[in-house]
Amino acid sequence: MRDALQNEVSDLVAAYRDDQSTFQRIGPISWPDANRIAVNFTADFDAMLLRRLNDEPAEQLAKGEFGGRVGIWRLIELFDSHAMKATFFVPGRICELYPRAVQACAASGHEVADHMWEHRVPSDPILERDHLAKSTNALAALTGKRPVGTRSWHTAEALTEQGYLYRSHGSDAHGPTWSHDAHGRNRLVELPFHYAIDDAMFFSFAWYKSATSEQRLSDPDRVMDMWWAAFEQQYRAGGYLNICLHPFVSGRAMRIAALDRLITRMKELPGVWLTSCEAVARHVADTCPPSATKPGP
Amino acid sequence: MPWKDRYTVSDEISLRDHQLHWPDGERMGALITVALSVASGPEGITATDLQSSAGRFGMGEGLDLLMQALARHGLRATVAVPAVVAEMMPERIREIAAAGHEIAALGLRHEDTSAMPRQEEASRIARATEILTRIVGKRPNGWYALSRQKDRYAGGATSPNTHDLLREAEYGWLGNGMADDIPYYTVTDVASRRSFLTLPYYYHLDDQYFSLFPVAGTGLENSDMLARNWKAELDAQYRRGRCFSMVLHPQHSGWCNRLELLERFLAHMTSRPGIWFATGSEIAAHWQQHFPAATHLKLEPSIWQDYEGSLS
Repeated sequence: MRDALQNEVSDLVAAYRDDQSTFQRIGPISWPDANRIAVNFTADFDAMLLRRLNDEPAEQLAKGEFGGRVGIWRLIELFDSHAMKATFFVPGRICELYPRAVQACAASGHEVADHMWEHRVPSDPILERDHLAKSTNALAALTGKRPVGTRSWHTAEALTEQGYLYRSHGSDAHGPTWSHDAHGRNRLVELPFHYAIDDAMFFSFAWYKSATSEQRLSDPDRVMDMWWAAFEQQYRAGGYLNICLHPFVSGRAMRIAALDRLITRMKELPGVWLTSCEAVARHVADTCPPSATKPGP
Repeated sequence: MPWKDRYTVSDEISLRDHQLHWPDGERMGALITVALSVASGPEGITATDLQSSAGRFGMGEGLDLLMQALARHGLRATVAVPAVVAEMMPERIREIAAAGHEIAALGLRHEDTSAMPRQEEASRIARATEILTRIVGKRPNGWYALSRQKDRYAGGATSPNTHDLLREAEYGWLGNGMADDIPYYTVTDVASRRSFLTLPYYYHLDDQYFSLFPVAGTGLENSDMLARNWKAELDAQYRRGRCFSMVLHPQHSGWCNRLELLERFLAHMTSRPGIWFATGSEIAAHWQQHFPAATHLKLEPSIWQDYEGSLS
């Protein structure tokens, strides 16, 4: 009995240690130009792709289509009007659906990064690499620049093979962390985003196949109050905030207006670095390199 | 894959704000839809719905109070009527029409037709049209396929045939489109550029999603959120000079404090100069005249490709 209990404990401790050996927290980061906080406005431009993937009905696709016809253009205008750089995470296949919008993102100087070829990562490693290569090449061909970041479930191995620098997909810490395998290989800068700072959690009916009885709806004032509180807390802490938007959600006029007020309010404070994920990841890579990692057990 | 079938229903880029204009130099268009349906789920109005308190209130006192509130603010609505409701209260529907509101169709019984065979859907459209024409004395020009509180999705449910069937039945527009916040053309055949005018709908501006919703589960009364959404969207679209489209149900918005919230919002709307309050058919006519599909539907050739291991 004692041996069985000891195994139970040992297994969990081993699981914890295995996981701990795959990332490094990064201490306080000194942002460039004495900025107090880095803020990444990010937009996942999947439009109707995820709803198509889930085989949802026509009106759901039309809801996503709003992002391509209307929302993406408004987000570009919003960010441009504030003379700030943002990051658009774009599935490669969007290049075949909304090529002009993707080019417009790049032409305005915003970062265009990967969001999976068609918003999924195949479990077969060969097909996974094929999808990542297709997405990377499609974005590079359309924008003239190879993406260095992703918001995806892609494995670190596949990403580093193709030269990716960072991934924005999780909330392990408030600020950037390093991830790597147990041998200290396949390093990526991780730029966390939290679902509480994601427009889809408040405004997208039937998100991820959720049932009608599980719906959450809200209004822009309420959400902006929460996001402002999150920003202020990180501002005081000298930290980082990644705001996750979707053109089909935040591209609605009432939300663009609310985001405009939020950005205006942020800019009234000194030391707010509104920038792209790539700029943050490069700064982290340059100024906070990973410490030597002990080989895993 | 032909064109962007099962991905997009219209052209790639909406009309920009500066391209839009409204009659008599007004700044924006506004559409108020009253959905005169007490259907709770995708099967449409049932005997149980009619015999429920919500049904009695929605087709009785709630309807009276809502229409009185609109009248107090001098507003005309487009009333989406399931044909069976017109059979139940023909006099009331004629009164509503006589007061200047437009009567549009909301199915035969506000049923979900998304999985229906073409012929059955066509029969239902024909019967609903016949009933409403007979009772109102005028053919309906607008059709709605709105969602119900217990539907799986918000935003309504159409079949792949709905738009073509409505065109064949000589309807002018469909009232629930989520691909834009102004009217747009839903394309049903690319080669012949066949399309059907669709008016904007958005569930954040529909009272049923903030009135003790979800019905089962975590349902909360969020009428304050609804009022803030209405105001935020109206004000934002006003600045852009686009369109505002809200959906009201008598059983929801007719109820005491919700009705007061609505009236406060109606007062806000009517206090702003430059809003063209129009019915669905007036907005559709303006669109067909000034932004017809022949010149304003800009279909890009498809560059979509099929790849092994990818979505087709």
